Amino acid sequence: MLEFQFASLAAFFEMAPHGVYVWPIYGLGLLVIGGLTWVNARQHRQAIRMVQRNLEREETHES
Amino acid sequence: MSIEKRMLARELKLIAARPGDIFKPMWFLILVISMVPLALAPDSDLLAEIGSAMIWVATLLALLLNTEHLFQSDFSDGVLEQWLFLDRPLAWLVGLKLVAHWLFHVLPLILITPIAGLMLSVPTEVLIALLITLFVATPALTCFSGLGAALTLGSSRSGILGVLVMMPLFVPVVILAAGVLIRATDGSDTLPLLALLGAFSVVAATLVPIAVSAAIRLNIGGSN
Amino acid sequence: MGWRWFHQWGSPRWFYERAGRWQLVCGWLALILLVVGSLWGLGFAPVDYQQGNSYRIIYLHVPVAFLAQAMYAAMAVCAVVLFVWKMKLADVAMQSIAVMGFAFTAMALISGAVWGKPTWGTYWVWDARLTSMLILAFLYLGVIGLRAAIQDPDQAGKACGILVLVGVVNLPIIKYSVEWWNTLHQPASLKLTEKPAMPASMWVPLLVNILGYYIAAAYLVLGSMRAIVLERERRATWVKELVGRA
Repeated sequence: MLEFQFASLAAFFEMAPHGVYVWPIYGLGLLVIGGLTWVNARQHRQAIRMVQRNLEREETHES
Repeated sequence: MSIEKRMLARELKLIAARPGDIFKPMWFLILVISMVPLALAPDSDLLAEIGSAMIWVATLLALLLNTEHLFQSDFSDGVLEQWLFLDRPLAWLVGLKLVAHWLFHVLPLILITPIAGLMLSVPTEVLIALLITLFVATPALTCFSGLGAALTLGSSRSGILGVLVMMPLFVPVVILAAGVLIRATDGSDTLPLLALLGAFSVVAATLVPIAVSAAIRLNIGGSN
Repeated sequence: MGWRWFHQWGSPRWFYERAGRWQLVCGWLALILLVVGSLWGLGFAPVDYQQGNSYRIIYLHVPVAFLAQAMYAAMAVCAVVLFVWKMKLADVAMQSIAVMGFAFTAMALISGAVWGKPTWGTYWVWDARLTSMLILAFLYLGVIGLRAAIQDPDQAGKACGILVLVGVVNLPIIKYSVEWWNTLHQPASLKLTEKPAMPASMWVPLLVNILGYYIAAAYLVLGSMRAIVLERERRATWVKELVGRA
């Protein structure tokens, strides 16, 4: 069941005649999932920064 | 006077105060339909072919733009809040408002469509089918766009957000109506599809006001 | 298990602390499954005799299309939980799923369109599946737009909940009517779907990919939910302690 379907690695990347369709799609998939991960991380950081700023503001109010 | 009569009387008074409100969507329809031959071709055969579909879409748009601010003025005047204290279920009052809106704003629009049909040389049988589908479908459409109006009541710069929010829900109605129009052009039996369309409208008219009243309650009460 | 487990979900703090771990597990699991599954589908699944190598797009398109629909259903479940049990986390989940679900819908549309080009000659056809997917995209956009338009988060959550519930009831009606509309105009069905009999060498990698994308979706939603929880609960003591320690 598991045999490599292409003659060479170059043929794999070319995937004639449809490589120009297949590879960009997978690239897009990677980009989207990666991008969303990055957006989540950024939102997380922003939330932490917001709380930190609030903490600092409270401390300066108390002192 | 019963609550229902008072509501209808109030709607009539509002219309009488600003009769222009009825004509604006009608103008919109005629204007859009006038654009079609300009954008397409003066050739009347082509126009007749797509005419009924174009009129349907233009009527849909006119209805949407009109229903956008269905609850806005009542909301700002505080009338909606008073509804909560009336001796009727909110969904019932919402339904009344929607009925009034259909009678006074949507019906005039439908009655103008034969003129649009004339402009696009739509054949008579198709025109009759067009009128019937509009009659049958617009209750559902009015209810759905009412839901969009109610959901976006609280928001500041909603613009046409309510319209956009509701558009996907119109798809089954549009498809069914288009089916009827195609059958009318062919000359085959339109009744089963019309019955389906009618059933959809009835169900929508019964259930959607419940969702609309939930949305109104939400926007009046704020969060709780 | 039972009700105690269920009620723990009422605590954003409990969720935040656990979700970090779940997110990590899901992330790695998804990565492994997707790398293995994609390479398998791209390099080791047999060439399709009709479509050649272009069919390999299905290893991304099909899972993502399933997810697009499943995530809308998940939002509907969140809406029910929100209205019945008033669980705030359900609203957070709804908010996260809306964005992620839309991303997957967009991917499904684009991959479907690009797959259509070598197969049918055009990037876009109004066939039943693509059209339904497009309307699903609009439904997602509506939920996202409505959330953005309402300032108060609780109110926004309930409004979106209403919209999602109305949408989910209409979704089967929309799908059915679009399929029917399609048969009206194209009796010789112009299908982008696979032929029914797929050999195991083709559908096994597909399963791997489906599993991989589902877990990836869970990973993304969890990550988004944690950020939103932190932001919404910013005045809570546990959040301040958490950040203060860092």
